[in-house]
Amino acid sequence: MLLFAAQLVNGLSLGSLYALFGIGFGLVFATLGVLNAAHGAYASAAALAAYFLIDRFGTPFAVAGLAGVAVGGVLAVVVDQIGFQPLRNRRSGMLAALITSIAFWIILDSLFGVATDQQSLAFPASSYPQAMLALGPLKVPTMQLVNFALLIAVATGVHLLIEATRLGAAMRAVGCNDVAAALGGVNARMIVLVKAFLAGATSGLAGVLAGIATSNVSASLGEGLLLKGFAAVVVGGFDDVRGTALAGLLLGVVEVFVAQYLSTSFRDGFTYLILLVFLVVRPRGLFGRDSVVRA
Amino acid sequence: MRALADLWAAYGVTLVFGAVNAVFALSAYAVLAVGVLSFATVVFAGIGGFLSAQLAGAFGWPFLAILPFAALAGALAAAAVAGAFLRLESHWMALASLALVLIGRVVALNAPALTGGVNGLIVPLRATPWELAGLLGLCALAFWRLDGSAYGLAARAVREDAAVASTMGVSPYRLRFAATLISGAVGGLGGAALAFTLQFLSPDTYFIGLAFTMIASTVLGGAFHWSGPIAGAFVFTALPAAMQAVVPQFEDVAKGLVLLAIMIYLPRGLIDPRRAALRRARAHG
Amino acid sequence: MAEAALLALERMVKRFGGLAAVDGLDMRVERGAVHGLIGPNGAGKTTVINLISGLLAPTSGAIRVGGEDVAGLAAEAIAARGVARTYQNVRLFPGMTCLEQVMTGGWLRREASLLASFLALPSARRDGRRARERAFALLENVGVAARARDLAETLSYGEQRRVEIARALASEPRLLLLDEPTAGMNAQEAEAIGSLTRSLSAQGLTILMVEHNVGLVTAFCDRCTVMNFGRSLAEGEPRACLDDPAVREAYFGRKRDADRMQTHG
Repeated sequence: MLLFAAQLVNGLSLGSLYALFGIGFGLVFATLGVLNAAHGAYASAAALAAYFLIDRFGTPFAVAGLAGVAVGGVLAVVVDQIGFQPLRNRRSGMLAALITSIAFWIILDSLFGVATDQQSLAFPASSYPQAMLALGPLKVPTMQLVNFALLIAVATGVHLLIEATRLGAAMRAVGCNDVAAALGGVNARMIVLVKAFLAGATSGLAGVLAGIATSNVSASLGEGLLLKGFAAVVVGGFDDVRGTALAGLLLGVVEVFVAQYLSTSFRDGFTYLILLVFLVVRPRGLFGRDSVVRA
Repeated sequence: MRALADLWAAYGVTLVFGAVNAVFALSAYAVLAVGVLSFATVVFAGIGGFLSAQLAGAFGWPFLAILPFAALAGALAAAAVAGAFLRLESHWMALASLALVLIGRVVALNAPALTGGVNGLIVPLRATPWELAGLLGLCALAFWRLDGSAYGLAARAVREDAAVASTMGVSPYRLRFAATLISGAVGGLGGAALAFTLQFLSPDTYFIGLAFTMIASTVLGGAFHWSGPIAGAFVFTALPAAMQAVVPQFEDVAKGLVLLAIMIYLPRGLIDPRRAALRRARAHG
Repeated sequence: MAEAALLALERMVKRFGGLAAVDGLDMRVERGAVHGLIGPNGAGKTTVINLISGLLAPTSGAIRVGGEDVAGLAAEAIAARGVARTYQNVRLFPGMTCLEQVMTGGWLRREASLLASFLALPSARRDGRRARERAFALLENVGVAARARDLAETLSYGEQRRVEIARALASEPRLLLLDEPTAGMNAQEAEAIGSLTRSLSAQGLTILMVEHNVGLVTAFCDRCTVMNFGRSLAEGEPRACLDDPAVREAYFGRKRDADRMQTHG
């Protein structure tokens, strides 16, 4: 029973990372229409930046983490403006967006490899809270609770931003129809930048936390998050932050339990099977309103 | 003669991998030519590749005998997938094909009898450069014929405007189904070629990296003529090799930058008959 | 007994969400006639063409081509039953020459199999030659043979419209749907199109033409249907239709209202 509870917390913590990444991914998913292959790189870059600050300058963890998040956001903006903006101007379609994202994936992954000397790096143990917290009879690593708490905070924040603020309304308008939005007085260009930053920052946060959780800062960090986060977005509904958050948590829990009670080599298989079923049967996900993806 | 041998020593590996990638690029082109974006070709390649490895390893078959079976296996897999996927809306279909690739890897991990599981599979057969060149030549010939036949015309119509094509009696679904079968067969051949070049297969061999490279090579070279994917594959393969001497460690960055530049400045790829025709028209106009 | 009407729409309804673009339309097009479909903008005319050609499926109602109900069939199945069309905004295939456009249009007239074509068998080569010759002849008929090997997108708008008509004729249809074929043309070009429809009709082709140019309709159509708000207002000889009070109201408003406006300036 205790093992079950521990694994549940494990799953929720892992799922929080998927959900966080997914929230970022989902913000730009609809406008691109297809996978942004480079999105994982924002997470990897954030983790690397945080690691770099801690390792070289001994920056306190929270500050380094925030810096990493900012790096993720800025990188997303850069990629968007250099790569995707020209496509938007030309109304190019999903194939062009995909290939451009692949180009950036190649560039960023390669730069990452050079920066880390092809090694996978680990955050020094002293840099983040190591203690175990007691939840009744259960002992849980502090970071797992931090992950979950951060997901709740970020998901709530982004949801409120999108649903309850003028900025959010502008973001939704631009996402639907940027020409109409511009005619309505929205500075579409600015909104696109804000969205991109937010997308990169949220995924960057997931990257930093994942770097700690797996003790493995490498390019594959971002790729792993990308695939699972993408699954969370599809299963949860790409236009609803709450859906993505819930789906991410669900997928995390499912994965941990499949690994525990079925077999470790199937852990990803279940997730991807769920993903495939949703794509074929219910693309708009559990909570999505729209089943049309524009590109 | 000596110079040729030296050239081969330096660039032979690149040419060999270029040829294998060209076969893959052609299999991606088969579906792009009818306006379908799909990553599933990599799964067909994996099936062809692992089957080929088993036929060579467990039964000792030679290269030429294995190829038809690799193509057949790929085509059968494609037929199974096409029926389910082709009815989906194009964005979701593309993503579903990606999910299929992800699942394919998990399957490969969990079928050690067929694939060697996590440890991978050693392939005892090696394809000679001439055999690979012959395979590529055969595929190129087939696509030259396809492009120039009635099928090619119908494919272009469906790709450019499927609704209008349907009002002329061309069935977009049937054409895309046929294209998927072709992509499966050629993908299976590519999978076999890769198996007999790397001589070692793992669940990561036929995975996202290969899928992205395949499609990127095709679009880079130009997805509007059969020569485009071949050119794109060779450029994509040779570029890092060439850059290694100039900017070691950053050769892949160079590759990505070239791809990005093409997407921004020549989005229809290096080889584009329409662009050439428009240029001729402007010159005479 | 052959039906006199090659095309008959019976209580045709097409709803998009809450909006009924076509709302109980009845229409009969006689075999061998040039039949005009006119009405104010938004009357539902292009939707009717889309329904007949199979790009849209009706919400309810029947579409009889040669007596057979084709409502709900796929567009390619309807094309196979001898229906061809052109588009309001010319929709030629980008990247294809004029010759290739028309050859694609002749897809249903191919005799050789795809496999034979792939293997370049003699039968397929003959078939291809025939298709090319037919395409050339059609382009000559519409007067653009000189540009046959040029990319269609380099032709003028008027020429492109004519290529589109040639493409539609390539399948040797029995029913030709023209969606505003003279839009953007000057009087001379429009006349030429009108004459072309008459000569095609003389050869036995049935033509349904969506047309804004009332003068063209009177000059070249045997009969016409006037539509508004998704319904038929009048059907019959063009002069009679245009004199119909309901039709005049649709176009010009009520006489009482016109008089009142005039009095009050």
